[in-house]
Amino acid sequence: MLKKLQLKKHALTGISFMLPLVVASGLLIAIGNLAGGNPAVIKDYKSSYTIWQAAVSLGVFGMGLLPAVMGAAIAYSIADRPGIAPGLLMGMIANAIGAGFLGGMLGGYLSGYFVNFLKKNLKVHKWAQGLMPMMIIPLISSCVIGLLMFFVIGRPIAAVSMALTVFLQTMNSGSKVIFGAIMGAMAAFDFGGPVNKVASLFADGLLMQKIYGPEAIKICASMIPPFGVTLSWLIKKSRYSKSEADNIKIAFPMGICMITEGVIPIAAVDPIRVIFSCSFGAAIGGILIMLLNVGSPVPSGGMFIVPAMTNPIGFLIALGVGSVVTAFLLVVLKKDAKEEVVEEEEEELDLSSIKIN
Amino acid sequence: MKIVGVAACTSGIAHTYIAKEKLIRAGQSLGHEIHIETQGTIGTEDELTAKDIEAADVVVIAADIKVSGRERFKGKKIVDIPTEVAIKSPKGLINKIQEDLGL
Repeated sequence: MLKKLQLKKHALTGISFMLPLVVASGLLIAIGNLAGGNPAVIKDYKSSYTIWQAAVSLGVFGMGLLPAVMGAAIAYSIADRPGIAPGLLMGMIANAIGAGFLGGMLGGYLSGYFVNFLKKNLKVHKWAQGLMPMMIIPLISSCVIGLLMFFVIGRPIAAVSMALTVFLQTMNSGSKVIFGAIMGAMAAFDFGGPVNKVASLFADGLLMQKIYGPEAIKICASMIPPFGVTLSWLIKKSRYSKSEADNIKIAFPMGICMITEGVIPIAAVDPIRVIFSCSFGAAIGGILIMLLNVGSPVPSGGMFIVPAMTNPIGFLIALGVGSVVTAFLLVVLKKDAKEEVVEEEEEELDLSSIKIN
Repeated sequence: MKIVGVAACTSGIAHTYIAKEKLIRAGQSLGHEIHIETQGTIGTEDELTAKDIEAADVVVIAADIKVSGRERFKGKKIVDIPTEVAIKSPKGLINKIQEDLGL
């Protein structure tokens, strides 16, 4: 049942639609704040305003749209085009009542499944079939799920969102250390795979509640593996074979852009040591991010968005220390590479559940 | 075997293209004809033609998200997998498909 609902796939589709918007909006706010000295958001469009106020206001528009885009994309992923209208509306409700990202996601799921339910079970006469996707489905689904959001599930979600926000804002340094370590280790653990995506989803969601720390951890933890591996190679070249060295030369520039995947070929050869070293370094980085109160209003972009962060120096310290720890562990733990021409290795996966339809 | 496919990942900038490369390299080294379309954040690239799809024995969809244009494959044999499978075990995947199809 749960597998059939494909909750994760729909959430990931939502994120893929949302990412460009969140990057553009976050950067607009950051640029406006940096260049214009924290200008106020435009309130009265009849009086004059500066270009930096315009940039920040545009970014704030974008951030406000995030729950709507998330809801619409999830509903679209589930129910195709008829899902978009109710999904957008549910996201707007979520934004208005303070249910934010969680509310937008839930609204998207409900709209999507409800539209699918209507498609399957609502039979109309032939003459009205053209009206189904155009009028009947969007109207009924928006109305039913909308009322549900307004009167039943909206408030509790808003309360949960609020509680989570307050909890994260008022963490003491003990919990900060634990939180930073877990987030960092998760984000680095599988180099952009599913575990990383869970951490990523969490950080992106909190971004909408204006909590910027987890996002900085995610960025830092995505960059520590490539930087750490590169550093360990510079310290002790004998640890890597020639083909691995070639991969490292590609992984480093990718790392600058916050793409961790370049490390995969290195990790594939020696997974346990490489994954342990990278996750450990990233956990240290995550702890430092939390303790130094670093935050990033932008979810991706690597070195290019460091100036937009709160406490960029703190970010560089966390990144540097984390990378050094990873590099040190790699040098100590790894054995010298044997020069050999290996056929590209494949992991043994259980493929038996894959079905051809 | 003639294989066509689509690759798409969440951020649409890295895994999509790694999955495509891996599948193509594995397919070619095993002597199959293979064509993969990417649906990244930039949009659709290397789009499959109607002729490619018509001639294909199987459609491999390596995606973590919803792919667009699925209706093009109506009536075809479709294999749905996450990008992870295509990246980690492309040859194993293709061999399994071949075995299951008995080609």
